[in-house]
Amino acid sequence: MTPPLRVLWNAFYWTYERATWQYDVMVIAILSFIWLTPPDWLKDPMASGGGPIAWLIDVLK
Amino acid sequence: MTFTGLIGRICMFPLRLIIDLCVRWRIHPNTLTFIGVLINVAAAWALALGKFVTAGVIMVIANIFDFIDGKVAVESQTMSAFGAFWDSVIDRFSDISLFIGLIFLYATLDRRDYVMVTALAMMFAIMTSYTRARAESLIKKCKVGFMERPERVVLFMIGAFTNRMAAVMWVILILSIFTVADRIILTYRELRDVEVMV
Repeated sequence: MTPPLRVLWNAFYWTYERATWQYDVMVIAILSFIWLTPPDWLKDPMASGGGPIAWLIDVLK
Repeated sequence: MTFTGLIGRICMFPLRLIIDLCVRWRIHPNTLTFIGVLINVAAAWALALGKFVTAGVIMVIANIFDFIDGKVAVESQTMSAFGAFWDSVIDRFSDISLFIGLIFLYATLDRRDYVMVTALAMMFAIMTSYTRARAESLIKKCKVGFMERPERVVLFMIGAFTNRMAAVMWVILILSIFTVADRIILTYRELRDVEVMV
């Protein structure tokens, strides 16, 4: 298995304990998805707007 | 030390005090477990009303009870097989009540798409527990997969406090599917190896 495939397989077939660096990476990825994905993209019934990404784009304009 | 390990240690300080108090006051761990589920039902009610921050606060309180019951059982030497069974059964009620609260909310808002997402997330969350319980009647240990109960509980709180419950439901759904698949794969491999040896 090539290294990128190995990383993907290890993320899918999760055997790491809590409080390992792999766990931290997964937590960061999950929190990034939750907080950075604009609620409008997910059609969130309770939140609206573009979220931090839209805010960042506005700031950079 | 890792980032999540550090957060765990920080949270342990106040919990340590509560555990000591419960041991000193001789509160039975099964009582703590039951109080936890009652408070979780209140959190589910708040979710159903769309009061996410209130639900988040209630969930924090409920999960303190949930977390400390096992530790109190160990320290007060009141561990029992029934206690372990009671804890895991009550945990399922807590899990399901939160999902039902959200399903009620999305149904009220006439959002069938998120009713389905939440219902599927609930199904795979329950299957996560069931696959492990069933697998461990056949093999020694089946502790693979990322999305276990502590992760779900923390994600529910994050979703409630930051009003990102839709994203949280997607994460719980996808990672619970992976977790159930991981447990099926592990059990298949372990049982196949046993059959080959026989």
